[in-house]
Amino acid sequence: MKLSVAENWVEAPLKQFVDEARVQLAVLLNPSGQVLGQFGFASSVDVMTACALAAATTASSGELGRLVDGRPFAGLHYAGKVRQIFLGQVPMGAGTLILLTVFDEESSLGLVQVFFAELCVALAGVVQPDAPTTPALAEDFERELNRNLSVMFGRS
Amino acid sequence: MSDDIRALSETLAADPSSVVFVQLGEALRRSGQVELAWRVATRGLDRHAQRADAHDLVARIAIDRGDFPRARDEWESVLTLSPGHGGAQKGLGFLCFQQGDLDEAARYLGAALADDPGDQSLAAALDTVRASHPDRRPIEEAPTVPAPVLDARTLFHDVLGDAPQTAILLDADGYVVAGEYLTADGRDLGADIGAQLSGVSDEANRAMRHLGLGRWHQIVFEAETASVAMAPSGGGVLLVAAPRSVPLGYVRRLLERSLDRVRRWMGRGT
Amino acid sequence: MSSPFTALLQSLIRHRGVTGCMVVGEGDGMIVDSSLQIGVNGDAFAALTASLYRKARRAAAAAGFGETGFFELDADGGRMCAAGRNDLVIVVIAEPRVNVGLLRVEMLQALESFA
Repeated sequence: MKLSVAENWVEAPLKQFVDEARVQLAVLLNPSGQVLGQFGFASSVDVMTACALAAATTASSGELGRLVDGRPFAGLHYAGKVRQIFLGQVPMGAGTLILLTVFDEESSLGLVQVFFAELCVALAGVVQPDAPTTPALAEDFERELNRNLSVMFGRS
Repeated sequence: MSDDIRALSETLAADPSSVVFVQLGEALRRSGQVELAWRVATRGLDRHAQRADAHDLVARIAIDRGDFPRARDEWESVLTLSPGHGGAQKGLGFLCFQQGDLDEAARYLGAALADDPGDQSLAAALDTVRASHPDRRPIEEAPTVPAPVLDARTLFHDVLGDAPQTAILLDADGYVVAGEYLTADGRDLGADIGAQLSGVSDEANRAMRHLGLGRWHQIVFEAETASVAMAPSGGGVLLVAAPRSVPLGYVRRLLERSLDRVRRWMGRGT
Repeated sequence: MSSPFTALLQSLIRHRGVTGCMVVGEGDGMIVDSSLQIGVNGDAFAALTASLYRKARRAAAAAGFGETGFFELDADGGRMCAAGRNDLVIVVIAEPRVNVGLLRVEMLQALESFA
């Protein structure tokens, strides 16, 4: 399995997370659904779908959290029979990034949370201040999305 | 069955001509399913006889099965197909060492090390071979140092005595370097047991990287029928297992004595 | 607030050299209940020790040694002990000077109540 990134500054922290948490899939994206780095996906279509769903789930769970608890939920976890999903938000200055990861019994929720916390610290340490929070303009969004996918899957 | 193995099996079932059998065979071997790995690898080799990695896989599984002649044949095929192949040189070096052919062992390991100077396990293996070579042993060497053990399987015999406890030295890849685990009917399960237990040291290494406790130097655990003690040794791990009737403190002592035995064998003398 | 494990944890933390003790889910590595000295990263110890214990338990079972009871790791900076049953693991973090024999007996006795 290969890790690929659209932004170089996410490579080392994401690799560290994947290696140490021993997850099967991971994708780091911004709240618009643009992918910044991924591990374990076989095709750009899978990444695009995962990013769209992760961004939508984060947005709707955030609203649900505000309704229920007065603040957005910080993370989501779903335990399937074999695989589990963790969806967490990475605080980045004024904005956030989103991590979606899938793991099985080789890892655990506790391990994923521990190494997710380390990922947050590592990203905060290396990121350019304006890099993650720059909103994707509507007219550029699809082009940017496709550019990121092309960079990672070698079709740029 | 792990998800990886299941997924690889499904891929191979869908396309029996796929070269995914190499990954599947290796995954099965690492999970201790040696006979299944053997079937997958040899069938794959029948279809892909020109692939060096297929011959290399069959060789490594042959080692796990104790079939050294077949391993030698396969690694020699690898070198024919892919001259300078590091894994084959390392494997042939190991085989020559096992059979007491120290000159050939040094030649293969030296060539492998020249290709990959950063491989610490190769450097350690070459040191071991050179230390064992009668022509290169320093004249002033202390007479108390034990004679080199050419059959590495017997390395711990004098430490363990006749009791049913056992010791196995594994390298970083989970291969048995020395020692054996004999069943009542005389079969050596060292490779199987080692493959299962070597993963524990990987977990320990990860934990140490994140918990601020420094380096780990011993793990002991009690299972229903055996107590197991393990410690890092020469880039790999040393395992000692004893029946539950043996006191845990004594198992720890056996581990320490076995570690000392390995240090002297490796010629590091710490 | 007390849990079914409060008395056990209070007893373990009183041992000289023990800096933390927890009951952890073996499968998820999450803390069920804990008693930790300030500065001990309970979440990391819980997740990593539970994973290590689970790996040892599975490896021992696969090697034909049966179920694993007590587990101990010695490191330069301290010791980690674990004992588990029914997907729960008692984890103890201690300084190198701790009396492990005493801890082991108490942990194995406590496991009986996990049955």
